Amino acid sequence: MTWTRRKFGGFAGASLVAALHARPTRSQTKARVVVIGGGIGGATVAKYLATTPTKLDVTLVEPKQKYTTCFFSNLYLAGVRSLESLTHDYQTLTQGYGVNVIHDAAAAIDPIAKIVTLAGGNKLAYDRAVVAPGIAFKYDSIEGYDQAATQTIPHAWNAGPQTELLRLQLEGMEDGGLFIIVAPPNPFRCPPGPYERASLVAYYFKQFKPRAKILILDAKDTFFEQDLFEDGWNRHYPGMIEWLPGQFTGGIKSVDVKTRTIRTAGETFNASVANVIPAQIAGELAQRVGVADQSGWCPIDPMTFESKLLPGIHVVGDATDAGDMPKSAFVANSQAKACAFAIAAALTGSGQSAPHLFNTCFTLLAPNDAVSDAINLKPVAGSIKITDIFFSQIGESDEVRRRAAQQAEAWYAAFTRDVFG
Amino acid sequence: MMASRSIVVTIAVGFVILSADGGIAADNERGAQLAAMCASCHRLDGRDKGIPAIVGMDKEKLAEAMAAFKSGARSSSIMHAVALQLSDAETAILAEYLAVQAKESKRQ
Repeated sequence: MTWTRRKFGGFAGASLVAALHARPTRSQTKARVVVIGGGIGGATVAKYLATTPTKLDVTLVEPKQKYTTCFFSNLYLAGVRSLESLTHDYQTLTQGYGVNVIHDAAAAIDPIAKIVTLAGGNKLAYDRAVVAPGIAFKYDSIEGYDQAATQTIPHAWNAGPQTELLRLQLEGMEDGGLFIIVAPPNPFRCPPGPYERASLVAYYFKQFKPRAKILILDAKDTFFEQDLFEDGWNRHYPGMIEWLPGQFTGGIKSVDVKTRTIRTAGETFNASVANVIPAQIAGELAQRVGVADQSGWCPIDPMTFESKLLPGIHVVGDATDAGDMPKSAFVANSQAKACAFAIAAALTGSGQSAPHLFNTCFTLLAPNDAVSDAINLKPVAGSIKITDIFFSQIGESDEVRRRAAQQAEAWYAAFTRDVFG
Repeated sequence: MMASRSIVVTIAVGFVILSADGGIAADNERGAQLAAMCASCHRLDGRDKGIPAIVGMDKEKLAEAMAAFKSGARSSSIMHAVALQLSDAETAILAEYLAVQAKESKRQ
């Protein structure tokens, strides 16, 4: 309200109105929101809370100094984009928006006393907390693939050192080698991601290792935008990429890290380079503090993203079980804004409008051939449902796809600016 | 009696102003929230790097563009979906908000 009055201060009688409606501020202290996790969801919540007309005391807890985006990291694997260009820091959030960024990990949350305890021992009291822990991997889902195995066979499903390791292995692979991607069961982060990865690694192989092959061993029997991918593979990389559904292989059973051997129910495959993307659940903190249920994901109120399990704690991003919402960076950003506005409304006692929830993803079949989807969603009966969904079509002109690829580049710049300032 | 009547009048005037102020304030806050949705793709500093700038856009033009995206007269599946999400009233609030933002950035 202060902001509004300042802006429309020219109205006659505005000061009288202010005097009549001056509410005592809550013991002179700003309401405190602690956001845990500085990925897309967490950073967006922190920024939008800090820019709300209600001045809030916003703290963002994130161990890392910098964040590298998973989205667009397949372009790094293709050799057309640096990892640095996908890496963002928190300086603008701190200096431009006044977010208090603490580089530490959250050890525990006391939902009754409303206190976050950090690994370093500090305690942060909050009026509302937001947990944005991303994903964790179910290492027990494939025999032989544990955390130690990721140093030989990367998952590369969190961007950074894992992505670098995979790129290094792809560079070192002989022409004529076999690159195997193990694709996870639903739900998982970035539904088109494994198939975009196959596309962009094929783009790299086509130039430097034209006799190489890519095999996708999938836990699923179908995948997102499958027709668009298969059409793109036939046009750009004929004969290079093979996809085997779970019903064909009988499922992925075990991995032998030493020999890079992947065993399915019926067959054994030897990879020159392998990339195992395991089944996923909400990030470890969500499990520890009790905002995840038996499914491994976090049930939320679709209007406010407040946990259905622990009141006062909100969850955004990939960790949520948000009905039909896919696990994408765009969704995390969309949820985070709805969550920030809901928290601001709750802390000031003002009304909240129904959130506009939206997803769009640009997916690259080649660096100059992008497709997109656009999804409208809305809260329905305690969950979130798709109301409209649109996809790119097979047979679109090269020009349409080239323009979409340019838009994808422009989107990356605008989107990361929206998140990190 | 005179004194108390003048207080009543003052309070009544106060409420009239309050509702005008409150309406604009609510629209402004709603406008900011709607613009936040746009900011996932459109830079709100007005710079155009391949996705058109929308701050600085005439409010009628923006409303026309959204109507064209909604009907399909202008083709873009992403903007078609966005246009379907917004009611005419919301589009008007958004257009008003973005126009004000443009004026402010010119002032700076």
